[in-house]
Amino acid sequence: MAHRALAHKSTDDVAIAVADLKAGEELVIHSLEGGKAHKVKLLEDVPLGHKIALKDMPEGHVVIEYGEKVGRMTQPVKKGGYVHVHNIRTLRWDYGSKSKGQKPRAKGGQ
Amino acid sequence: MPRKAASKGPQLTGYRRPNGAVGVRNHVLILPVDDLSNAAAEGVARLIHGTTALPHPYGRLQFGADLELTFRTLSGHGANPNVHGVVVIGIEPKWTDRVASAIAKTGKPVETFSIERHGDLNVINAASRVAYRMAQDASELKREPIQVSELVLSIKCGESDPTLGLAGNKAQGRAVDRLVDMGASVIFGETSELTGGEHLIANRCATPALKRKFMQIYNDYIRMIEAQGVDLLGSQPTEGNIRGGLSTIEEKALGNIQKTGTRPIQAVLDYAEPVKPGQGLVFMNSSSAGAEQVTLCAAGGSVLHFFTTGQGNIVGHPLIPVIKVSPNPITCNTMSEHIDVKLPDLLVGDIDLDQAADRILEVFARTVNGRLTAAELLRHNEFVITKLYPSA
Repeated sequence: MAHRALAHKSTDDVAIAVADLKAGEELVIHSLEGGKAHKVKLLEDVPLGHKIALKDMPEGHVVIEYGEKVGRMTQPVKKGGYVHVHNIRTLRWDYGSKSKGQKPRAKGGQ
Repeated sequence: MPRKAASKGPQLTGYRRPNGAVGVRNHVLILPVDDLSNAAAEGVARLIHGTTALPHPYGRLQFGADLELTFRTLSGHGANPNVHGVVVIGIEPKWTDRVASAIAKTGKPVETFSIERHGDLNVINAASRVAYRMAQDASELKREPIQVSELVLSIKCGESDPTLGLAGNKAQGRAVDRLVDMGASVIFGETSELTGGEHLIANRCATPALKRKFMQIYNDYIRMIEAQGVDLLGSQPTEGNIRGGLSTIEEKALGNIQKTGTRPIQAVLDYAEPVKPGQGLVFMNSSSAGAEQVTLCAAGGSVLHFFTTGQGNIVGHPLIPVIKVSPNPITCNTMSEHIDVKLPDLLVGDIDLDQAADRILEVFARTVNGRLTAAELLRHNEFVITKLYPSA
């Protein structure tokens, strides 16, 4: 089987492209560790190694990858959208004010 | 064959040292205590076949914990089970004897030479005659059957990208679980690159005391960073990591941690502290820089290192074989001569994680039995002592 994208865990919020993917591609995304597959229509181009939203996520949503918290959405994203430094940031050193154009956010909010 | 090997344990051979420790290589080491003695040590190693010098830039005017770590790193390399015998050379006799006496506790042959009142040429003459005898003795030692449970091993990843977290480190983690289940000790470290996943490591510590010790080492590290008036956000993930697709420090740490497998952590050690076989999975405080971490593991007694890489870290070590594992197809194609275990087929789903772990353990068995690694063939002899603070 030639995977186009893989999830670390089938319950994660995001998956990883294992090839350069184009908007409009219909993907069936598995996890190497088993569990249910996700059917996703890609809304944006996503390069190899980068992340795809497996569900709609609002601003402030704490993103789960590897079954663990890996950051917080700074903008909403639709299922099939591209998740990277433009719309997710760390929960560590979460001052909020360091990224320009981003309003300060209380630690632990939402 | 890999399936069979995995189920009953591969047939392995190695060298059993006087104290019972088991090595997979058979070096005669010419060990300089300080920078000034590099010339004599390298002189001996050039003259006598089958000997290896470990030149380095330190060993003068160090003090306190930094001096102790340099001593522990040097004597740990002499004591490493991959070493048959050691010629220790220093500028003066006192520190030279100190390093040598720590090695001599293993029962292996150790002799010392100091340069003051003799000069390089007399030392090279006398030390070469000793090295000649040690190298000839070493050449007559026979490999004998050994068990995985007699080995101390170590792991690290470097030049990471998302292909490691997805595939390479997961496969390495399965291999580590099997090795630990067969009774090996496996050392991991990279204190800085656990940030974002340190709670997962803490929760895998076998006892509350180990968990407290781990969190103290980790928190001391974070305090050291914050004492510089900075945080890690400018450097972790790196620009290269971000280009590869990693967005946050948590995501990078979780990818890193995959290679440690799932077994409990049975010991928490500081830099270069000795590890014995049968300890299971062991955390050792260490830098995340490749050569420093491999050097600390070798000083702790590791006889073989697994190194997973995404973009292509090419590190090696003078005394212990470093097995490179990569799932990245571009790296495996463009840097083929550096990669011992190629796993791009795992990334696209042609093999599964257990088959990938089989492949890693098959190369492990052949390497233990004497097959040279890419890093050994390419003379990647990185030996880098961790320095804690400036010398006096």
